[in-house]
Amino acid sequence: MQRDDNRAWVFVLPAMLVLAFVGVIPLVINAWHSLFDIFTLDQKFWVGGEWYAEILGSTRFYESLGRSLGFSTAVICVQFPLGLAIALMMPKSGLMRSLCLVLLAIPLMVPWNMIPTIWLSLINPDSGYLGRLMVWLGIGFDYKFTALHTWILLVAMDTWHWVGLVAILSCSGLSGISSSYYQAAAIDQATRWQVFRHIELPKLGGVLTMALLLRFMDSFMIYTEAFGINAGGPGTATAFLSLDLGEDIKAFNYGPAAARSVIYFAISLVIVWTFWRALNRQRDAAAAEQA
Amino acid sequence: MRRVILGTAGFLALALFILLPLAQVIQLSFLATLPHDEVAKGSLTLLNYINIFRTERLAASLFNSTVYVSLNVALSIAVALPAAYAFSRYRFRGDRIAFFALLAFRVTPPVVLSLPVFLLFAKADLLNTPIGVALVHCVFNVPIAIWILESFISGVPREFDETAFLDGHSTTGFILRRLVPVIAPGIGAAAFFCFMFSWVEVVFARTLTITDGKPITSAISSLFGFRTDIGLVMAMTVLSLIPGLVMIWFVRNHISRGFTIRV
Repeated sequence: MQRDDNRAWVFVLPAMLVLAFVGVIPLVINAWHSLFDIFTLDQKFWVGGEWYAEILGSTRFYESLGRSLGFSTAVICVQFPLGLAIALMMPKSGLMRSLCLVLLAIPLMVPWNMIPTIWLSLINPDSGYLGRLMVWLGIGFDYKFTALHTWILLVAMDTWHWVGLVAILSCSGLSGISSSYYQAAAIDQATRWQVFRHIELPKLGGVLTMALLLRFMDSFMIYTEAFGINAGGPGTATAFLSLDLGEDIKAFNYGPAAARSVIYFAISLVIVWTFWRALNRQRDAAAAEQA
Repeated sequence: MRRVILGTAGFLALALFILLPLAQVIQLSFLATLPHDEVAKGSLTLLNYINIFRTERLAASLFNSTVYVSLNVALSIAVALPAAYAFSRYRFRGDRIAFFALLAFRVTPPVVLSLPVFLLFAKADLLNTPIGVALVHCVFNVPIAIWILESFISGVPREFDETAFLDGHSTTGFILRRLVPVIAPGIGAAAFFCFMFSWVEVVFARTLTITDGKPITSAISSLFGFRTDIGLVMAMTVLSLIPGLVMIWFVRNHISRGFTIRV
């Protein structure tokens, strides 16, 4: 049971101070700079909300937003069923479980800027394993100029990179389910599907919500990997939100970049707020169940 | 029987999917992809690995990354541990809002913060040092560490604290001497995830090290050019995976246990 005590803030303070320094102050700097036209940091001119009006009034912004949402949706639709299935099929103990976990965690350890390079080598028609296989099968895969193929490559790459996280988190959620639930289900002669639907899925709620939030946001703002594959092309087919921001930064458009950052942060806040409400509802439901 | 076959097939498919790209990396890392003085193009060689240690900035980058990642893990755990304890044991004014703030920081994209962090760190003289990178990576690692540690601490019954307090421990003394040994697996899991997110991060690490202290990720990027030695790039990638693999093996039993989430 938790006790009421506001002195607990003392313990939270160091963490909050660190986050204030590397999180809050930069955001405030951003918000301030977004109101100026900046040539150098000493030479800036007040423009008010002009950058915001420009960005929010452009169709490019809404197209990128749509593409980013589409990418997140695709990634989640692939990675969650797959990750859950892996977690459910994984042995409950022993060496095989250790091997599976290590296997799943390896892609998480690859530096992000290497991931596109690895996949591009893999599908290289001259030297890549997958590339040569596709040539042999007569499949023409052209990620450079065919938008659909770029998308397939991005989703496959992202799945390779991140499905392990979904699986590992689901695993940890599953291992927290008390065996008495399974025994009760066995007595009731529940089918495998019923066990999943009525015991495992509800118990996994918290972990899955968290995994969903992490995967949603990280894919929504994907930058390094997507840029490495085709730099937003062909045309603007994979120009996601963060790639537009990267362009502004590289072109030294500090004012518009700052405004864009503020807008993206606001979008993140709205999304986190939604997830946070869901987590709170789960917490209240769990508390009500215990009472 | 059918389950066993299905399970084995599933495992093999998963292993193939995950290992195929890695096999490609390892194969290329042993291949001379450009003509060198010593070996002809296309022959098997250890030259790529030797060249890493011949090139000072590549070898140095392995060291730089290790330093800032270690610093970051230590710092994240140090500030997250008391916070996680507070979130687990107490209700206090604003606790849910504080948790919301943590979530928000975790998901703020680095590319959004990179420019102002650069300006701030330039003022605070934190550019080109491992300390700067270690500090900025806290923005996503501290929330993760708090989340993981909180769930492990919540797995320890409250009576454990009470007994220690009756024995005359202060709260700080209790956390350091009694709680830490009990939740060691949780600390291992938190350290693993902090290590992982810090090791692979590119945007901050690259923006904050212009002239000095360059991490592996920058060193790898700098290899790309008109005539990219892809074998060297892949050898560097293989080396960058090794510390992570060692970490995974040590915490393999902890990363999948215990953290059922309680908000």
